[in-house]
Order: sequence, then structure tokens, then C-alpha cells
Amino acid sequence: MAHSPEVIQELTDKTKIIRQNILRIFEASRMGHCGGTMSLVEIVTALYFHHLKLDPKNYDWPERDRVVLSKAHAAEAIYAVLPEIGYVPKEALDKYYCYRSPFQGHADRWCTPGIDYSGGSLGQGLSFASGMAQAEKIKTAINPPDLHVSAGNMLRSIMSFNPLYRVFCIVGDGELHEGQNWEAAMFAGKYKLDNLICIVDYNKYCISGPVEQIMPLSPLDEKFKAFGWWVKEIDGHNLTEIVDTLDLANNLYGDGKPKCIIAHTVKGYGIPVWEKVHMHYGRAEGITIALKEGREIYG
Amino acid sequence: MVKFNKYVQIGPPAGTPAATQAAMDKLVQKYNNIVLVLEDMAMPFELDWFKKNAPERIVECGVAEANAAVIAGALAAEGFMPFVFGFTFSAIERAYNQIRQSILIDRFNVKLMARDGVWGDLGVSHDIVEGIGCTRVLPNLVILNAADVVEAEKAFLAMADYIGPVYFRMEYSAPNPMRIFTNDYPFEIGKAYTIKDGKDATIIATGYLVTEAIKAIDILEKDGLDVGIIDMSTLKPLDEEAIIKAAEQTRAIVTAENGTIIGGLGEGVAAILAENAPAALVRVGVEDEFAQSARLTSEKDELKDLFGLGAQDIAISVKEAIAKREKFKLTRKK
Repeated sequence: MAHSPEVIQELTDKTKIIRQNILRIFEASRMGHCGGTMSLVEIVTALYFHHLKLDPKNYDWPERDRVVLSKAHAAEAIYAVLPEIGYVPKEALDKYYCYRSPFQGHADRWCTPGIDYSGGSLGQGLSFASGMAQAEKIKTAINPPDLHVSAGNMLRSIMSFNPLYRVFCIVGDGELHEGQNWEAAMFAGKYKLDNLICIVDYNKYCISGPVEQIMPLSPLDEKFKAFGWWVKEIDGHNLTEIVDTLDLANNLYGDGKPKCIIAHTVKGYGIPVWEKVHMHYGRAEGITIALKEGREIYG
Repeated sequence: MVKFNKYVQIGPPAGTPAATQAAMDKLVQKYNNIVLVLEDMAMPFELDWFKKNAPERIVECGVAEANAAVIAGALAAEGFMPFVFGFTFSAIERAYNQIRQSILIDRFNVKLMARDGVWGDLGVSHDIVEGIGCTRVLPNLVILNAADVVEAEKAFLAMADYIGPVYFRMEYSAPNPMRIFTNDYPFEIGKAYTIKDGKDATIIATGYLVTEAIKAIDILEKDGLDVGIIDMSTLKPLDEEAIIKAAEQTRAIVTAENGTIIGGLGEGVAAILAENAPAALVRVGVEDEFAQSARLTSEKDELKDLFGLGAQDIAISVKEAIAKREKFKLTRKK
């Protein structure tokens, strides 16, 4: 399903605002997980501004789509989105890392409206997302949706059949080294969690070097496929591809397969100095130069 | 009120299928959000009920405890009350960080039932000494440990009524405890129960060791000593008030637990005593070593002597505590 250029243009404009917000976060905090945050911008923009079922007035809506940010160190990407939805005031952007701030160092369900999972200890998010997806299955089994329809509109009703909510899980590539991810992959495959969509932010770099050197992951697609997942690889900075693939994954609901979207991204995307050194964590002098550069590009 | 009915009868081990089954019978009627999160360990309770009436509420994770703990956290986040069952070494220690990150930080309503304690037939891997110590340090976690079948059932029901994470420590492998409590025993999370008051010393025991403490009192009675017993069924939060009161009354405290004395009940009591009511203290427990297999009752008795967990050991420790009190010149409240 192709999208109109207007939709894509609108989302592209949003990514600019999100990048501005991220710059504002870093300008106030003078430090942060910049690389993994910048590589996520297009993905979270497509999710929050096009895809997710959510209620801007009620972040706790029971039927909202869940987002589990397993790579919780990249919470800045979602922190930059939340004020745009209206879950937190925009001033909170200046309070990243601060005491009593809604924007804690790592994503924290307890402190931040709109965060569904407290992460930070890597490799657990996919399990949590699987648990939430399984909860949806149990809820639906206990209270089945009303499918009683006349023969005439049967087809339409089947096509519009949706889960109570979907669960989107964003995992980093480095954290896929954690064995627990594969326990979760096995679990999701077993329980046919087609309401679970895992997005791998495949930016190819860990803290201390290229993922393939530290501990090779490839072939990543075959790994997920072996556990019974539907897998698609995309360019994680191409909004058209992201939006189309998310739609496709949605439309495949009912096939009994958890979905994995492997998004090839660039660490530090959008800020040339960060892209060049695959910056993981910026601070002090380095971040000042990068932020100056960022402001020149994004205003 | 409950009578101190010592030596009434020897019952089945606390927290056995019998006790949990009886409690679960009541719970499935009361709560319709209970989910069993299995780790290839058959739940000792109501599995058949769930299979028959609510198969969708059985979530089998296989031998993957780390995943299972997080799955349980997520199910709780969605409003369910997951029960996880396993051994301490697997369900708790294998998934330690997962419990911390994905259950405790957000206080998810997960009930962790795990077998703990040194006497066992399964050997050093499965019979755990450090269960209390390794969990007591975790914020947001309530730790319960029942002394007999009646208390196990009541603690189980209270655990379900409490909204938040609980570690229910089960000493399946310990010898059969006495039937200590009658059905009108008013169990409450966080409240220690004074089984008997004494003026010469107080034993603060938990789990199976309450039985040994009761036997120890009989031994000490013959020596003319009036010794009290407190059943510390909630290991976290500890009932400070009861500990301070006992310390002021007797100034000689003995703690007794089925596990290592490092980080366990004894250390918890020691901290409260040191800060609030100085008293002579002797800790009964395993002295910084691992467990061993023991199948026959006679062998279990041998292990009891080896680890120094029997009534005789407790009685000796009480005398030691009293001697210390005299040495430290601590005076009792009149």
C-alpha cells in the first residue's frame, strides 16, 4: 500500500521537529546516548504520528497500542515525541536526567506518561512485549470480541478485525547478544503472537565497535525466521519504506506469526560528526561541537 | 486467640501442595485474573482446575526462567496476577536481574513461589542456603515464609490480597514441622507472631526452624529457663516493633533460620537491635557453606546436626546469648 507524498512529507517535517527536540534535550543535559537515539528518529516518528492507536488525552487508555522500548537508553527519541503528542509539557525536555523529572536516564514507566516499559537492563524488552501480547490474547480469549455479523458484511468484518491492542517492541542490535531475546522469540513463536511487532534498530555498532566484530549477529533475518517469525528488512531512515512495512505487518494480523522488521540504520543519523565516529554516548566538548552542527542543519 | 499448643501434631511440611492447594481453591473463586506462569515445573496447585476451566490462563514458558519472569511482569502490567513457581536457584536467582528490572521497579503484582532451604534430596544445586539474603536486599519485594500448614494457607491468601510483588519462600525439603497454629490464627503481612512470651531469652525463628525452636524451649524449660518464641513469617519487611519489644524484655535474642546466616533473618534482626535496642544476639543458621543431599529422615537429622540447626543447637545458643547478656551487662526491662 503506497502512501501519498503528502503523508510522507508531513512525517518528514515531523522528524525535523523531533530532531530539534532531541537537540534541545542534549543542550540542557550536555550528555546522552546520542547515537542510538538519532538512528531511531524516523522509526518513532512513523510509529507515533502515523501508526499507533493512542489517545492524546489518556496515555493510560487500556486499548492503546503498547510501545516497549527495549533499548531504553535511546529513550531520548521517545522523550522528544511525547511533548508533541501532549503527554508531557515541552519544558520537560530541559529536565532530562534531572531529579523528579519525567525524563529519567532510561525509560521509566513509573515516571513518564506514555512509557509502557521500564528498561535499561538490556535484552528483556522482547520478553516484556511478548508478555503484553500474550496478555492481549488471554484477554481476548476471556472476553471474545463481538464477531456476530450478518452474511452480507461478513467480508468487511473479517478484514477489519483487529486485536484489542498491538505491541511494538524496539530492540537494538547490540542487545540481541543477550540470550533472553531468543527465549522470547521462541515464546512468541509458540504462542503465535501476531499482535507483536518487533523493530530492530540495526545501526551496526555497539559501544566498543562494530557489532559484527564484537559478536556477529548475521544472518539476523534467518534467526528470527527459524523461530517462526515473519521478517522484513528495510531502510530504517526511509519513511516510505517504514510506513509501508508497518502497514503490511498490520495487515498480516491473523497469520499467527510475530513480526520482525529489521531496520538498517546509521548510528548518530542526521549529525555528520556522530555518524562519522558512530558515537554512542556524547558528553563535554564533543557534544558541544555536534549540537552546534545539528542546529545549523535543523534550526 | 491462638493457644500455644506445642506438640499438638506433626503436620505435613509448610507450603506443601496440600496447603497451597487449599488456598488456591479459595483464590480461583475470588480472583479471576490469576495466571500461572510455568517454567516446566508443574504447579503444585490447581493446575488441573486451570486446565479444565481456564486453559488460556496457563502460560508455559519452558525451561527459560529469565524470560518467564519478564513475561510474568508484563502480564501483571496488563492487570493479571501471575504466579510463578520454581526453585529459588532457577525462578529467583537465574532471573534475578529480570525480577529487579521487569517486576520490582514497577511493583508489578507478581507472586514468586520458590523452594528454598538446605535439607533436600536434590543436592547442592537445588537446595539453596542464600534465598533470604539474596532477596532481602531488593526494594519493593515482600518475603513470606510459613512455619506450618495453617500459616502457609493463610500467608498464601494474604499474599494474593496484597497488591505487589511477593516472594513466597517454601521449605519443601525440610522435615515435617509441627502443627503450630489453629485456624483462628490472625495472620498479617509484616506482623510477627509471639507464640510464647519469655523472660530469660527470646528465639526469633522463621519457617521450619520455628518447630525446632519450640522443641528447644522444652529442653530449656528443664534447665529452669523461661524462653519466648517469635514466629517471623514476614522476612521483609521485618516487624521491628516485635523485635524491639523482645529485646527490651529479655536482652538475649537468638535468631533461627533454614539458610545461611549471612544476609538472612539474623542479620536483619541484628541491624534492628543495634540501632534501637542493644541485646545479646546469637544467630542460628548455616555457617557460610552450601547444602548437601539427604534422603532418609535419619540423614536429614544428620544434616541438621552438621549445619547446627536442631533444637539442641538452638538451646545451646540461647544459653550462649544469656551468658553474653551477663558479659555485656545489659539490663532487662522490669
